[in-house]
This record gives sequence, structure tokens and C-alpha cells, in this order.
Amino acid sequence: MLSVEHLTKVYSTGTVALKDVSFQVQEGEFLVVIGLSGSGKSTLLRCINRLVEPTEGRIVWDGVDITAASEAELRRIRRGIGMIFQHFNLVDRSSVLTNVLSGRTGYVNPWWSLINFWPLKDREMAQAALERVGIREKIRNRADELSGGQKQRVGIARALMQEPKMILADEPVASLDPVLAYSILSYLEKLNQEDNMTIICSLHYLDLVQRYATRVIGLREGELVYHGSREDISRLTDDEFKQIYGEEAQRMGGVAGTQVAP
Amino acid sequence: MTASPPVIQEVRNNSLAQAGLSALVPGLGQFVAGHRGRGFSIFLTILTLIGLTIWTAAQRARFPDMGFSSRAFLVMFGESFAILIFLSALYYLATRTFAVHPTTQALARAGLIVVAILAITLVSDTLIRTAVPEDQDRMLYGLTSLAGAAIVAAIWLWSIQDAYLLGKEYVPSTGTLLLLGSLALVVLGTRVTQIDLPKAFREYRDTQVILRRIVWPWQAAFVYDTNDVRASARIQAPCPPGEVGPPQNEPLPDDPWIVVTPTCGDLSVRDSMGQLEFGTLMTIEGGNFRPNDTARIQWQNPIGEPFTPRGFGESELVMGEEGSFTIEFYIPDVTIPSTAAGPQIHTLNVVQSGTARFTGELSREMKLALQEMLVTIMMGMMATLVGIILALPFSFLAARNLMNSINSTLEGFIGGVFGLILGAYLGSRAAGYLSAQLGGLEAAPVETAVLNFVLVVGGALFFYQLAGNLLDRLAKRALPPAVARVISIVGLGAIGAIVGYYLGLGFANGVLVIVYPSGFAETVAPRAALAGSVLIAGLLAVQAYRIGPAGEVTTGRLIYVLVRTVLNIVRSIEPLIWALVGIIWVGPGPFAGFIALTLHTIAALGKLYSEAIESIDPGPIEALQSTGANRLQTIVYAVFPQVLPPFISFTIYRWDINVRLSTIIGLVGGGGIGFLLIQWIRQFQYSYAGIAVWLITITVALLDYVSAEIRERFV
Repeated sequence: MLSVEHLTKVYSTGTVALKDVSFQVQEGEFLVVIGLSGSGKSTLLRCINRLVEPTEGRIVWDGVDITAASEAELRRIRRGIGMIFQHFNLVDRSSVLTNVLSGRTGYVNPWWSLINFWPLKDREMAQAALERVGIREKIRNRADELSGGQKQRVGIARALMQEPKMILADEPVASLDPVLAYSILSYLEKLNQEDNMTIICSLHYLDLVQRYATRVIGLREGELVYHGSREDISRLTDDEFKQIYGEEAQRMGGVAGTQVAP
Repeated sequence: MTASPPVIQEVRNNSLAQAGLSALVPGLGQFVAGHRGRGFSIFLTILTLIGLTIWTAAQRARFPDMGFSSRAFLVMFGESFAILIFLSALYYLATRTFAVHPTTQALARAGLIVVAILAITLVSDTLIRTAVPEDQDRMLYGLTSLAGAAIVAAIWLWSIQDAYLLGKEYVPSTGTLLLLGSLALVVLGTRVTQIDLPKAFREYRDTQVILRRIVWPWQAAFVYDTNDVRASARIQAPCPPGEVGPPQNEPLPDDPWIVVTPTCGDLSVRDSMGQLEFGTLMTIEGGNFRPNDTARIQWQNPIGEPFTPRGFGESELVMGEEGSFTIEFYIPDVTIPSTAAGPQIHTLNVVQSGTARFTGELSREMKLALQEMLVTIMMGMMATLVGIILALPFSFLAARNLMNSINSTLEGFIGGVFGLILGAYLGSRAAGYLSAQLGGLEAAPVETAVLNFVLVVGGALFFYQLAGNLLDRLAKRALPPAVARVISIVGLGAIGAIVGYYLGLGFANGVLVIVYPSGFAETVAPRAALAGSVLIAGLLAVQAYRIGPAGEVTTGRLIYVLVRTVLNIVRSIEPLIWALVGIIWVGPGPFAGFIALTLHTIAALGKLYSEAIESIDPGPIEALQSTGANRLQTIVYAVFPQVLPPFISFTIYRWDINVRLSTIIGLVGGGGIGFLLIQWIRQFQYSYAGIAVWLITITVALLDYVSAEIRERFV
């Protein structure tokens, strides 16, 4: 169980990104964070694995206080939390294999990994991960030769290498078209249901939220303004959605409800 | 606008008053009108131009008297100003009465500017005469002052008009000011840099011979076989009484021969008036030369320097039918070194020039040049290679995006600093012990260097990490805040004491010694060091108290600033100057050049690399960190792949620069081809210098091409 308690983040520029945010996530949940850009979604996700150092508050995961962990402990915690990014954050000039293997850095002997030496077990694991997201054949390609959807699948494969118990997905489909968006979220849903991974995902579109979320929290200007269960969301109308979200909220449109085969 | 005194309020927007103020002090009118920057820059421009003109006239006209220059300047300024005022008034009247059309006005203005220049030029001779006494370097001095003075007058006048127009709520363009200012700078700059166009043309003709040898030096690159016909005889001069000189030659049956009588005689003497008093007259007979062909007399002084004496007899002679001859010749005047003692043996040659035959063998100088060229290229290459290796670690320390995220507790920072010192000390002791076992620096230089580097750097880093982490963790977890506070205050205070000690010593020995050169500084040095220690320790202790227990300090930021500063300082000192340092250090030669180039390469590449690192996409770094990678893994997987292309590009670029630089670093003694070049130029061996220039040009051009090709492939 992940418990976020009174989390506040003030950047050195003075921007208050998060204000006293508290919530809990049970194991195996698919939690969606909604909110406008700049509402603190990314900061919230990054505070959980301390890519961003929280100013105040605690984050406790399965009884371990992440906010108080030392550097070595933090690395151990991080390797159990996969992360997926809006812009994929792959190393363009490296091969798909190297990108996927780099998800394993928290487990292997650091000195061997510095010269790009990986145990056979990890190489096989990387192949299996790519198999699982359906781009096994791209393993030798350079990352910048892939399309957006393929890149995000490499991103998921990289996260899988961590054998994570939880995945943080920061707007994983915001740079993709609607068809690909459903496809990528379906992978995440499968991980959530088959492997019982906890997913915390920030999203923009109401129909995607209704389709995938088991629980939703809404952020506005760094404050937690909405908290709803799956049933609450399915009852949510566009107008109510806009109230949480602001006027810019919209549906994906057209392909709503379409199930895209993985 | 801020409130101003009533007087200024009254003057403001009164055109005439403003113009009057600007006439008194240029720029004052504009200043009062509220255009402060404008007024200030007009004032500064005029002040600078006056100063520059007087200085230039005084210095460059070889007339170093500032007071006189100032008076001369004033005379010329006054007259120019008067001429300009008169012409301006004329223009004003003209535009009011008949030339009212804009085009006519523009024409009138242009005409009057021409007239102004003409007028000032025409009266210039009178002006110069009144300002400068006859016997001085009048033209140079006078013209410089006059041009400066006239331009200052024009700007002054313009500023009056400008102030007037500003009063009319109209902001004129400053184009005129810029134009006049630049004009003045061109005039003065020409004098200061001693640009002398006539000289360039005058001296070009004399340079042609030399230039031709430099441009096409290839005859000097080869050895030629010559089949000169020659015969020699030895002659003693001077000839003290009783001496007979070397034995006389005998005629030879087949080979060319000469016989000189006598073989002992006195030199001709040229007295202080240039009058020549002939020495002993010799009779020269010879045979077996090429018939009906010319030959010349050649005299070799005792150290073997040959020359053809003229005016002592027939220096060019024609052989008879049988190839024999008889002439009379005086012993020429030969300057004998004052150190020479006793009778000297000279040599007389009779030479018939033959034809020179190309052998294909390279001359000694050509071989030397090729060899030094190789040394040069190697120097540049070694400097680049060693530079890359040393620049890499610095570049990561000087990359803001990597360093900014490194923070630690104050206690951790203190532990790190002491760990660093302790580690370096232990490392150097261990390295010293081990290298002594191997036989010391002279017996095992490479091992000693490697041991020192690995143990000192490794030890410092290891203990930095160890002590830093230990104290960091203690401060965060175990220690009560009061204890942590004591540790941080004492620790930072101790660091301050060390730094302050050296600052105090430096102040006494570096600053005080300038003011009190004799002894005083040395006696107060210990006290200054103590004072420095106490002061800095106190300041830092207070700072530590304010940061508080387990407070954050930006260690990374500190290292970043430190490394950047050092790199910037090293980089701003030119390699040629580093070469001078290298020469003082290890003596002239390629090693000094290598040291110079390497130092500069480290600094330059360190900066370029660090900027490449700073401009990478931060996404992959974030991704790697989120997987639990440590710092090194993050660098290897997220940073390296991204910076590899710029690194390669910068490295090749630097290699290019280094080879270029290595060709000229020899000019100051850094070894390589530049050293040969400067030697040959100083010995007036222009053909050989030409060979060096050609080799440098070919190498640099080739390198240019190759590096461009490589960069294109990689990037």
C-alpha cells in the first residue's frame, strides 16, 4: 500500500507545485491522476520515487518511508517502481536492447554494467519483455528509428525489466494518437490485472479515464480537489468533468470505447 | 521622472538654454533635458577623443610633451570650431532665405560639408605652423592633431544642435555622432598602429627577391652534383720577417693546378679614411683548366669563408688556348678575428663553374624540416590525446545539469573535505613508499607517475566518499541535533581556519610586500596568517550555525563553480604563453610545447565537453535514475550516448587546432618546425624558411580536409 501524507513541494523558484496532498493507493489499483498541465501531476508522480525531492510530508510504501531513505536505500526502492514517460525518455542513439537492458541497472553488478556487459539471464529477460509488448523484432534497431507507439512500448519493456510492483506513468499517451493510446493503456491494464502491479497514471481524456481507472484523484493548482471510485467516474458527465478539470477538458472522440487488440 | 531642482526645471525644454549648456560642456544640455544616457555618451565621446588625440600626437609623432600637445590641440580646435560655426551660420541663413526646398537644403548641407573639409585642410598648414615649431616632425604631428581637433569640433557643434532639437521635443538620430566618432577612431588608429601605406609600396620591391625564395624554395630542398673545375693554393698572411709560408705547389701533369709566388705575404689594409694600401703582390700561374673559358678567383679566410675579392687584380679571367694562365694579384684585405694569434693560413682558389646536376637526394635542411614536421604533428596529437583523457573528468564536474543535483548535509560536506585531504595525504604517502621500493622517480618514472595518480586521486575520492557518507548518515539518523551542530560548526570552522591561514599568508607575502618591500611583510606574515585563520573560521562557523544541523549545502554547485573558474582561467591564457611557462619548467623543446598544448586543450575541451553535456535531453537521465541506477550508470547509459557525437566533433576540431598551434609554438621555443622556421628566418636563410612554410601549409591544409571529412562521417 502506498500512502502519501501531507505532501508539499515548493520549487526553488517559489512555485508551489503541490499543497498538502494526502491519499492512499491499495495494491493492485489502477489510479488515474487528472488535472490540467501545471496542476502538479508530474511533480506528484516524481515525488513518489523522489526524482523530485518533496519539501514536506511523507510517502510510505509497504511500510518503508521513501522520503527518509538514504541514497543507497532509495536506489533499492526505485528499482521496484517502474516509470513510463510522456516523451518516452529513451536514449535515441542506443539500440532498443540497450535501452531495455538499462532498466536492469538497479539489479546488476554496477561495474560490469559500466562496460555494457549484461548476464545472459538479463538478455533473455529483455527479449521476453520485448516479446510481451510485441516488438521483439526491433531488438537490434536504434531507438530513434522507431515510431512513437513503438518507443512507448520499449519504455514499458524497460520498466518491466525492473520487475516492478508499481508503475508510475506520466501522461504515457499524451504524445500518441488515439488508437495507440488505447493500445498502450491496454498493456498497462494487462500488467495491472495479470501481474497485479499497482499503476499510478496521469491522463488527460475523460473516456480513457472511464475506461481504465479503478480510482481517480483530481489535482488543481497543486491541491487535491477530487477523489472518486470507478463507479463515481462512470457516472461523471462532461460538465462535471470540466468542473474538476477546467474548460479545456475533452474526450478523445471518435474511437471512445474501442478495444484495440494488443 | 524624478523631481528636479527648480533651475533645471526652468532650463528643461528651453531649447536655447539647453543648446547653451551643451556649448559650455558637450552633453550637458541633453543631460538636463532628461536624456541622461545620451548626454553622458556625448560627453564621454568628446573627452575620449580629446585625450586620444593629444596622446597620439604626443606619442606617435615622436613629440612626447603632453602640455605642448594640449596647447596645439586647443589652437586647432578653436580654429576648426570657428570655421564650422561660420559655415553653420551660413547654412542657417541660406535655408531660411532661398534654399527652402528639402532637396536644395540637402545639397547645401553636402556642399557646406565639402567646403568645411576644404577650408580646414586649406588653413591646416597655417594652423600647424602656428601650433608646432619648425623643427618638429611637423606634418605627422600637426595632421593628427588637426584631424582630431576638427572632428571634436564637429561633434561638439552637433551636440549643441542636438540639445536644441531635444528642447523642441524632437529626438534626432545619433548617426552623425557614430559616423564622426568612427572617423576619429580611424584617423587615430592609423597613427597608433603606425599604418604607413607608402612604406608598404616602397619596400615591396626590395622584398621581392626574398619573397620569391620563400614562395618557391624547392631548389634548396635537394643536393646537386657540380662538376666545377678548381685548383687551390695555400698562402700565409701576415708574413713576419724570416717566415717562408707553406710549400709551393708543383704543376700537375693531368689535373688543374695553380702555383702562387710567394706563398707568404701581407694583407692589404684599408685605413680609417677608406684609403686602400695594397699588400704583397702575388703571381699566379695555372694550367690544365678548360680552354677559352672564364674562371674566377676565390679567397677563403682562415675559417674557410669564401669570397671573391674585387679590385686587387683580375678576379675574372679567361683561360688561354691550352687552358693555362698567368696573372698578378694583390693579397686582399681580410678581416681577421681579433682572437686570432700568429700567422694565418688562407686559401686561394681558381674556379671554373661547371654545370649542376640534379641528384634526387634531399638536402640536409629538407630532411631536418621533414623530421621536425613529424615531431610537430606528434606533439599536436599527443597533446590532444592526453588532453581528452584529462578533460573528460573535468567536463563532468563542470556540467551544471549533472552537478546541480548533488547536495549533501553540511556534516557530509565537512566529512568529504577532510576525507579528501586525508585520502590525498595517505595516497601520496603510500605512493611515495611504493615508488621508493621500485627505485624512485628516476629509475621507474612511469610506475611512479601511475602510482601517484592512482593512489592520490583514488585515495582522495575514496575517503571523500567514505567520510562524507559516514557523517551524512550520522547527521541524518544517529546524532542528536546539538552534537551535529557542534560537529558542523567545528568542522566548517576548521576548514575556514585552513583557508584563512593561506589567505593571510598570501596577503602578507603578496600584497603587503608591495607596499612595504623591506622585511616588514615577512615579520607580520605569521600574524596575518593567524588573523586570517580566526577571521575566516569565525565567518564560516557563523554560517554553519545558520545552516543548522543536517542542513543542505549545494556541494555540486560549489565544485561546478570551482572547476569552471579554473578552466576559464587556464583557457584564457594563450598556448604560446603556456609554452613560455613550459620552457621555464622543462627547457626548450617539444616537451615544453606539449605541456603548453595539453594544458590549453584540457581547459578548452573541458569547457566544450561540459557545454555538450549541459545541452543534452534530460529525459533519459530521469529514466535511468527512476530504474535505480547509480550516478556512474546514469552517466554511462543516459549521458554518454547523447554526448558522443559532439565529443567526437569537438575532439577532432581540437586536434586540428593543436596541430596548427604546434607549428607555431616552436616560434617561442616550444620545439617542432616552428623552432626551425624562426632560426632560419633569423639567419636570413629564406629558402629554407620557405621549405618550412610550405610544409606547415601542406600539413595544415591536409589536416583541415581530413578533419572536415571525419567530422562529416561521424556527426
